[in-house]
Amino acid sequence: MTRDIVIKWHFPHPPKKVWECLTDPEKISQWLMKNDFKPVVGHQFNFHTKPIPQMGFDGIVYCEVLELVPNKKLVYTWKGGPRPGVIGLDTILTWTLSPDGDGTRMVLEHSGFNGWKNFVASIFMEKGWKKIGKRFGVLLNEMK
Amino acid sequence: MRNCADPFQAIADPSRREILMLLTKDRQSINMLAGNFEMSRPAVSKHVKVLYEAGLILIKDQGRERYCELNASGFDDIKNWLIFFDQFWKQKLQNLEKLLNTNAENDKTAK
Repeated sequence: MTRDIVIKWHFPHPPKKVWECLTDPEKISQWLMKNDFKPVVGHQFNFHTKPIPQMGFDGIVYCEVLELVPNKKLVYTWKGGPRPGVIGLDTILTWTLSPDGDGTRMVLEHSGFNGWKNFVASIFMEKGWKKIGKRFGVLLNEMK
Repeated sequence: MRNCADPFQAIADPSRREILMLLTKDRQSINMLAGNFEMSRPAVSKHVKVLYEAGLILIKDQGRERYCELNASGFDDIKNWLIFFDQFWKQKLQNLEKLLNTNAENDKTAK
């Protein structure tokens, strides 16, 4: 499995507190998106947000809890597409927490792009990224 | 122009990725491409068609040959998702950090 996006973060709060924000649906909705998450392996849930038609995304993320280790690790699928039943994006999110001094070190991996990032980057490293970056800024604002 | 075929599907196939890699070096005719594969020329031609319909390559007729070249703008969908999520998560994690800070403040006040 290619690890396509890896983001490392430090929070000045204990893992237990961070874990609550990752697994309590009410708290998740406060920082991420509206959802019907339950901390149960096999539970299927959705995130709801604004559609982004130009990226073939109808605003619903389809998820299933794959792995759950309290205060340590959470894994769920992250799928989306232009309309129900059509999946263009089939990926996996892995959240890993570990104590770091008085706080928490969190690693977020968004994987399953099947190596596209490296592949596409190798072709287009020098072409057009800046332009895309700008357009992307507009999309982000739409997501807010 | 946005084409109807899905670029994600188009590059899911290893042969088609191989064709794209070959085209990163230089434009090539379908016959030249076919020389790199065990499969028949019509099979290569079929893959080329999928890539073309997904907007990932351009095809130009020159004499009796059809030349394929990469179409940079066709990769935007794929790049957009990756750049999108990289930024998306960073922004969301900032939200999470704010929420944790607020919760901790509230805990203190409650005590």
